[in-house]
Amino acid sequence: MPHHVTLDVADPDEVIRGAMTRGHTRADFFRKGAIAGGTLVAGGLVIGGLPEIALGKPSASQDVDILNFALLLEYLESTFYTEAVANNALQPRVLEFARTVRDHELAHVEFLSKALGSKAIGKPTFDFGDTVKDNWKFLATATVLEDTGVTAYDGQGTRLTRKTLTAAATIVSVEARHAAWVRQIMYGAEGYMNAPYEYPAPSALQPAKSKDQVTASVTATGFIKG
Amino acid sequence: MFELETVDADGAIRETQEEAITRNDAVRRAVAFGGAFLGGGALLGMLAPGAKAATTKGDIAILNYALTLEYLEAAFYAEAVANNKLTGELAVFAKVVGEHEAAHVAGLKEVLGRKAVKSPKFDFQGTTADPAKFAATAEVLEDTGVAAYKGQAGLVKSNTILVAALSIHAVEARHAGWIRAINGHNPAPAAFDEPLTMKQVLAAVKKTKFIKS
Repeated sequence: MPHHVTLDVADPDEVIRGAMTRGHTRADFFRKGAIAGGTLVAGGLVIGGLPEIALGKPSASQDVDILNFALLLEYLESTFYTEAVANNALQPRVLEFARTVRDHELAHVEFLSKALGSKAIGKPTFDFGDTVKDNWKFLATATVLEDTGVTAYDGQGTRLTRKTLTAAATIVSVEARHAAWVRQIMYGAEGYMNAPYEYPAPSALQPAKSKDQVTASVTATGFIKG
Repeated sequence: MFELETVDADGAIRETQEEAITRNDAVRRAVAFGGAFLGGGALLGMLAPGAKAATTKGDIAILNYALTLEYLEAAFYAEAVANNKLTGELAVFAKVVGEHEAAHVAGLKEVLGRKAVKSPKFDFQGTTADPAKFAATAEVLEDTGVAAYKGQAGLVKSNTILVAALSIHAVEARHAGWIRAINGHNPAPAAFDEPLTMKQVLAAVKKTKFIKS
């Protein structure tokens, strides 16, 4: 499916591109500075996301739509982690993280697939390039993916029927744990030199993103091939 | 090494946590720059206009339940920071997370207005003055907080309150992941985090004897 969102629109701080393609010194990563105020954690996104968050009265068919959106993200994450583990290029602590998270994301895929039954989307084809072959690129990408997962689930919370929300809630906190874990691996030993972005918990409130925002970000990574 | 028994005397919290984890193995504005924490105004800012007026009795009860837990966490961290016995990453954690919990208290109080319950008085029984005890207690508190918010998510009537509750829930999960990593524990022990009911949480909190009044 062709997408015409350019990377500049979806990745203005070049976080994702930086993670995928560039030299990965800390200076590079943070020269973009406003990562904390950019794609992932900006207060403006919460407000901007509200119109869609508010729209869409919960229904069984909307639940299907949202769970398939979640399933797509879980397919992406589970494949990412599976490939990264298999490529055997990760440092020990990072490998431990990747293995555990892989197993969780696979469990999430299984759970969502079962919940959706015949309505589940099929697994897309992915290409993660260097992000599953290089230790630091893996970490940077994992950070983006986990944060995106949390914003995605939280953005849909009010649109789900409360029953489905209860089930989805058991997943979102696990993604948040993953998100904290990977930051702790990356920045904990050095004492979080770039606060608050590097903190496992960068802010008192977790922002949410609308489905359109998440879809645009994910599409723009180029990870999804078809 | 500090034993969880001290903070979780009847094993109440651990038991409910472990049971919950093993039982099902199959499932406005944000950012704090420069260390400044997010004030209560930002929580209110996340909500649609008229959120306060739209709050039902059930939602008020849920918010006050959340506020009570946040009072406890905020006081615990504030006392730990004031005691100044923590070093390294544990000290950073206590300061940052304490700021978050204080922001949650401020935000919830603002949303509740006159209906906000007052803070209980606490006695943390030495857990704020000893690094090992602090670390173990923080882990239990954060995991419990995650399960507590999760247990209420499906019961919140107002969508605007739900947005805020889910936001805080995710942050508590980050806190839990962080302290577990610091403690050398698996930050995400299960593929699915299970909820605890209000009854279960309040019973577990009561057993800690942290609440004096």
